[in-house]
Amino acid sequence: MELKHITSDITGEEMYYGTHPSGLGIYLIPKKGYSETYAIFGTRYGSVDSKFTVPGETEVTEVPDGIAHYLEHKMFDQPDGSNVFDKFAKYGGNANAFTSFNMTAYLFTATEHIEENLAALMDYVQSPYFTDETVQKEQGIIGQEIKMYDDSGNWKLFFNLLNCLYQNHPVKKEIAGTVESISHITPEYLYKCYNTFYNLSNMSIVVVGGFDVKSVLDVIEKGIKKNEPFTEEIKKIYEDEPDEIAKPYAEQSLSVASPLFMIGFKDTDTGYGGERLLKKYIEVSILLKMLFGKSSRLYKELYESGLINNTFQTDYTVQPSYAYSAIEGESRDSKAVYEAVKNEIERVKNEGLNEDDFNRIKKVMWGQYIRSHNDVEDYAGTFMQFLFMGADYFNYHDAYAKVTFDDVKRRFENHFVTERSALSVINPV
Amino acid sequence: METIRINDNITLYYIPMEKLKTTSIGVYLHRPLCEGEVSENAVLPYVLKRGCKAAKDSEAVAKYLEELYGASFGAGVSKSGNDQFIHLGFETISDRYAAGGEKLTAELTRLAMSVLFEPVSFTDEVVEIEKKNAVDRIMSELNDKRIYARNRCIEEMFAPSGYALSAYGTKDGVMKITAQSLKAHYDKIITSTPIDIYVCGSADAESIADAVKPYVQGMEFTKAKLPKSEMLTGGENVKRVTDRMEVTQGKLCLGFKTGIAPTDSDCYALQVMCCVFGGGAHSKLFSNVREKLSLCYYASSNLLGLNGAMLVNAGIEFENFDKAYNEIMAQLDAVKNGDISDWEYVSSVKALVNGFEGFKDNQFAMQTFHINQRLAGLTDDIDAVKEKIKAVTVDDIKRAAEKIELNTVYFLTGKEE
Repeated sequence: MELKHITSDITGEEMYYGTHPSGLGIYLIPKKGYSETYAIFGTRYGSVDSKFTVPGETEVTEVPDGIAHYLEHKMFDQPDGSNVFDKFAKYGGNANAFTSFNMTAYLFTATEHIEENLAALMDYVQSPYFTDETVQKEQGIIGQEIKMYDDSGNWKLFFNLLNCLYQNHPVKKEIAGTVESISHITPEYLYKCYNTFYNLSNMSIVVVGGFDVKSVLDVIEKGIKKNEPFTEEIKKIYEDEPDEIAKPYAEQSLSVASPLFMIGFKDTDTGYGGERLLKKYIEVSILLKMLFGKSSRLYKELYESGLINNTFQTDYTVQPSYAYSAIEGESRDSKAVYEAVKNEIERVKNEGLNEDDFNRIKKVMWGQYIRSHNDVEDYAGTFMQFLFMGADYFNYHDAYAKVTFDDVKRRFENHFVTERSALSVINPV
Repeated sequence: METIRINDNITLYYIPMEKLKTTSIGVYLHRPLCEGEVSENAVLPYVLKRGCKAAKDSEAVAKYLEELYGASFGAGVSKSGNDQFIHLGFETISDRYAAGGEKLTAELTRLAMSVLFEPVSFTDEVVEIEKKNAVDRIMSELNDKRIYARNRCIEEMFAPSGYALSAYGTKDGVMKITAQSLKAHYDKIITSTPIDIYVCGSADAESIADAVKPYVQGMEFTKAKLPKSEMLTGGENVKRVTDRMEVTQGKLCLGFKTGIAPTDSDCYALQVMCCVFGGGAHSKLFSNVREKLSLCYYASSNLLGLNGAMLVNAGIEFENFDKAYNEIMAQLDAVKNGDISDWEYVSSVKALVNGFEGFKDNQFAMQTFHINQRLAGLTDDIDAVKEKIKAVTVDDIKRAAEKIELNTVYFLTGKEE
């Protein structure tokens, strides 16, 4: 097949891309002089997708929570009983996989034998093999993993916050499910999910690094197994989420060195992807740095009073169906930090944002974008994440250029609403 | 790579990495790891970070960095052999990506040099906060039982050598520091320490050197050498230590003497040996102790190459101590006997070669590689190291393994009922 080729004068990057007749999206980003190559083969399918309608069917399918992650684990079982990791190790490839709220992905990094590693990746992700026995075997292993997360301070801090912010949206549920929910998983459910979400028209492969475009494309094409692409979308069903948060506060005691806090703001301006989403992402990220970044008035006040240390950080998570920003760190008095955050928002509401700050921080977002091209893994991961939200990270500049001070002022009013904020705290035992 | 000597103590190394979109500046001050100054060195970089003539306080430093499209600046302290190095790391997008045509690398160099040579942050307020943060770092190492067990094992193996110390210093040592004493320490070491300035990315080494020189003009330097690492000695009798704490999982740490210095011809065989033994998912420890016998949650080995030692770490149930210990030793015997499968050998060589090759895409890894080579007294570049790894045979691995002797058995276990 022929791929389209684009280049960017601003970043000096180039990309070959296209959709294979099987439905698979192919994105090849060669980087001159690079030693490493990173390939990621992903599906638009994560832990939030437990309720959906398969194209061509009328009935809604509902499957046990935690199944996307369970399926990821079971993809490593091969019909011939071989070990997937052994194949990569033989060619010096470092293979892995992960499941997030909205994505499941299989990947490897290698500096040589790219074609052999890639062929192994293409093969095992398209070779499902689930039996009663192998599915049963995984219950104990994943059960242990769930228990391990139960002891993790940072993990609990995060999910307790999501359970404050969300009343119904499945993002509040643990990615791996519960010991109870995974006990209902069967080979039939796994095949149902596999045949739906691992249809190649719901998947993409992104390769970034020092590889040869022609031979990599050749391996991908040869590696594609028979697939009938869907002609319509898989309908994912999420319960209606009200604007109001579920509760303003959660705390738990766990074995941690210092008390941890995480403050969240629920974004209610959701329901879209594409460039509009990318632009919103830039706006909120700028605001988080203006209000709480290292040059901000609040950061200085909190750091100098010893209420926060350099673990303090902010982050904005965005998806078409939900979004929130988070401010986290360690503090001996989390409630005082939360009060200070709310007071600062009140103050900025009255006194307004500073345009010099905006101009300076907007440059930071540009630097962040340029820097994101350096590491093959970060770049491919970010590219795929935005791709699955219908946004074009390659042409980030288009959205970036449109962000004005007025946009950011409007976004501030809309996003930083203290009634839609919550505090999660983990105290040492 | 270009090397420019600024004076007896200060050297600028430029590693061109034009394929990346950033340029980084890494400043390293090499101090001998010793009781007398370990805590001062552990606090110093964090205080330096708080302000200088070019940006008087944290807020000014943050704004300075933001103006450079969000350049980064991190400070820290670490150890490599008996070298406790103070690190100031800076990174900016390279000049050609600056939308306004700004000279970002030059501006960042100015900040780096001002932080290093023109600090203004030795005040009581700043030093007290950074002392508290330094104590928090020490405490969090105590709280992470995996790191704690490893550090305790190293302590038992090496004391009273400086390598027994944590690079973070001690709580008592940190508490004794005052703004005055830290300033005095800074004044003493700034002119009597080997200082490396690494620049990686796209820059002009000569013009950076020219920018550095004015900062040291008129200062008097005392010529200094890189700290020398001490090889592990002794071990006629195996030292056995058990600590008891409120923990749910036991931590087993075995310390071995390798008897192989980084300049010995067997040092590459030793690296492959360690990888076969416990260096990843293809290793003997992983596939036997973890996968086959399910004795632990993790089990791995790693080298303290500059100090002639190897550690094995495993998290186990308390009652599995004997089983895990016996299995680890049995796997080491297997390596000593040359009982190494083709697949184990090939996977280990590939993993190491792949790892070294990957350094070439990472500026920080390139700096660390070069510093470690110098500390080891070696001059090979990455490609030469890769070739030497590839040339290692199963017989070489066997020979390196035969030199390895158990030195210390450390076990962190639960409180007795």
